Amino acid sequence: MACLSTSYRVACGTRRQQVHKFIGRLLMDNNSMERQLSSLRTVAHLTSPLQGYRVTTVQSSINKHTQLTQWTNGLHRLSFNAGQEYVNSMHNSHTCSHNRNHSSVHTQQPAGPVREIQIDPYIILDDELKYFYDDVRDLLQSGTSQPELDTIACYYFDGQGKALRPMVTMLMAKALNYHLNNESHQLVHKQRQIALFSEMVHSASLVHDDVIDQSDFRRGKPSVNALWNHKKVTMAGDYILSIASIMISRLRSDDVTIVLSQILTDLVQGEFMQLGSRETENERFAHYLTKTYRKTASLIANALKATAVIAQAEDNVAEVAFQYGRNIGLAFQLVDDMLDFVSSTEQMGKPTAADLKLGLATAPVLFACEKYPELNPMVMRRFSEPGDVERAFELVHKSHGLEQTRFLAKKHCNEAIRLAQELTESPYQKGLQVVADLVINRIK
Amino acid sequence: MQRATTLIMQQVLRQRMQCLVSNSRLPVATFTHHHQQQQHRYTATSTVTSKQATPPPRHDWNRAVSEAERIVGYPTSFLSLRWLLSDEIANVALHLRKLVGSAHPLMKTAKHLLYNGKNTMQAWGLIVLLVSKAGGHAANIPDVEQDKSAGVLHSQRALAEVTEMIRISHLVHNSVVNLQSGTQAGQDGTTFDDMSFGNKIGLLTGDYLLGHSSAELANLRNQEVVELISSAVRDFSESEFIGERDEQNNPLPFKPGTFQRPSLAVGVDFNEHDVLTPMPIGQVMGNPEQEWECRNILNAGSLLGKSCQASLKLAQQSEEMQRHAYRFGKHLALAWQACLDAEIFQTPTLPLDAQFSLVSAPVLFHLEHDPSMYALLEKGKQTVEHIDYHKIHKIVIAGPALAKTKELQCKHTAAALTVLQHFPATDARQALENIILAMQDL
Repeated sequence: MACLSTSYRVACGTRRQQVHKFIGRLLMDNNSMERQLSSLRTVAHLTSPLQGYRVTTVQSSINKHTQLTQWTNGLHRLSFNAGQEYVNSMHNSHTCSHNRNHSSVHTQQPAGPVREIQIDPYIILDDELKYFYDDVRDLLQSGTSQPELDTIACYYFDGQGKALRPMVTMLMAKALNYHLNNESHQLVHKQRQIALFSEMVHSASLVHDDVIDQSDFRRGKPSVNALWNHKKVTMAGDYILSIASIMISRLRSDDVTIVLSQILTDLVQGEFMQLGSRETENERFAHYLTKTYRKTASLIANALKATAVIAQAEDNVAEVAFQYGRNIGLAFQLVDDMLDFVSSTEQMGKPTAADLKLGLATAPVLFACEKYPELNPMVMRRFSEPGDVERAFELVHKSHGLEQTRFLAKKHCNEAIRLAQELTESPYQKGLQVVADLVINRIK
Repeated sequence: MQRATTLIMQQVLRQRMQCLVSNSRLPVATFTHHHQQQQHRYTATSTVTSKQATPPPRHDWNRAVSEAERIVGYPTSFLSLRWLLSDEIANVALHLRKLVGSAHPLMKTAKHLLYNGKNTMQAWGLIVLLVSKAGGHAANIPDVEQDKSAGVLHSQRALAEVTEMIRISHLVHNSVVNLQSGTQAGQDGTTFDDMSFGNKIGLLTGDYLLGHSSAELANLRNQEVVELISSAVRDFSESEFIGERDEQNNPLPFKPGTFQRPSLAVGVDFNEHDVLTPMPIGQVMGNPEQEWECRNILNAGSLLGKSCQASLKLAQQSEEMQRHAYRFGKHLALAWQACLDAEIFQTPTLPLDAQFSLVSAPVLFHLEHDPSMYALLEKGKQTVEHIDYHKIHKIVIAGPALAKTKELQCKHTAAALTVLQHFPATDARQALENIILAMQDL
């Protein structure tokens, strides 16, 4: 009878795993850049559940130029009430530079971001993000009569975080609204609730992670588990989640609730994947990528998809939002795993090589295993023996593990940029491309 | 077909559990649903552990429950849950083995959940289904959404499952041990790793259940239901913050005289029009009966009541019927809690190593009667282990508190039975009445 569940796991795990295995191998073999690029495209097609989307992306990779012409035509056909829109939403400097460069955009190859326009996503989203954390805290406070619960639940909503998730969510929301030509305040308000949800779920998972990992610091201040009773901290995590769910249920959209609930199941499954390390060397990279998707990328991908769903976008548009978020999320985590080896403690607000100390083998280590097979037994025993962490740290730096990780992250960012370009051009759509740059170039 | 699947599931579960149990050095009882002689009693809130056999009840609890199960076609208690067959839970079972023999409370919780003793009231899902059937559904609900043979909707069955998942998730999260550096548990180097690992497994298991329950809830495609049930999760977490606590978060009563408030004419309850508004518990602190009610509504009554209410929402029943369902669930949970609270004080001497909750009804009632007992309870401020439970037990049974607790139980039993009269007379209603009467006689 036990085989019943095992076979289920195999059946649902294989396809994605095979795909990831495929890409993992390609990268580790150090093939030419071009081949990797095309393999990544293949991955995007295979993992996309939507038939229609598959067709368009296949087209785009086959014939970039045809697609470019189509985009340009599409842009010209749309009524471009640009001037007014930009004045409303942007600072003057951005407006000017954007309009000036407007025509040149279409003659460029879509391979890279448009660098001459420096859009700061945080500035163009100032309206939405300014009181973001205040709103989260107000919401959390309104749900309980117990001051201590309120304090613990609000602890990480101090405004010191990067607010990456709400920022990307709102950016995508506004880019989509522009694309769909529906920019009503009610819609933006609903999408902002989805952004609140993404940050709340993220925080709830941090709160629970703190109890699990027993770390003393996070974001440069004592972590919740150092300050409060672990039982209460656990309950505070549940509390944040329940308040976030109540808020989302009030949007009264069945589909949004379904999309967002996927985040929660993915998060926990990701955590469970992190528990075991029984997989063989071949499966390891696929396992790592799936885990990364579930723990980090799913949250961004599904939150972005939800902003499309609430805007009543077509499935293929929702899929663009989802895939953009998925790629940004994967790149973000890859860079995070890389920074764990290079950043200083002060920059990250947590100790370096933290992952190794927790027994986790992330991308840099897995890449380094190729060159230094002696790492394999250490990975299997989760760096538990004395000297393992130091030795692994050293070998990762001696290998090309960090460069390879960065390279893989870069691929995902480029894919995200390509996806963003499928949306109608707007400051927000440009912002989505800038975010990809921010993710790859961040130092903390 | 469905029956066959259920049977297969149960078999798998039994195998898994036996495999888990046979690896443990715990006293192993034969795994049977009608295990009469050697009863273990456990509750979520009052950690009562009695090792004594109970006298045969006048109303047979087992019969009441198994007849009820027959009526709604619900396979024995929570064991039907699909989630128990998932990879993650299989994983947890493997990890739990490593914890066998350690003192982590998660093992105790797991044992309580596995031994399906008659006194554990695991039958919350069953209650939700019985209320669903008793309440009936609107005529316009299409046939495909109904489970004709059981007389409930498929969505109601899913909701019953969610109810149990959420309850278990709370129990599991509650078995996390506080390992802060200042605490006893945090300083004990020899067991620290076990405890830390147990916390990890407990936390993830609870999160798993919570995550899957929200996915299941989402699939019901009814946002009012999602809202209501999410608020029950909120109530659970809020309940762990009320009043004073020892370092393992066990609740302690307030010092008598802390609050000088007149007792309210009626106890407080939730704001019907806004589920986000928390229970105004501050208004009743210090009043033994109403404070006890509040604590236990948050801890139990909220989920059962709100699930019953949500189930009639799914059936598109009137607001009024939904209100009745909520009140039924709430009173049933409170009656049940009063019954459990009273139980340990019905024996003349406290069994060895047994403990009881310091905010259970008999203790609170006695404290009102004789505030001087607080001196004994005060010793538990660091940890309740420092308390002389035998002495308190002796004091409480000599006073009027037990009789008052029984009164409290009768009050809620009567309230539950009265609310039930608003439901049409059906076999499901009869089954609910039988369960309440059997409970009364335990």
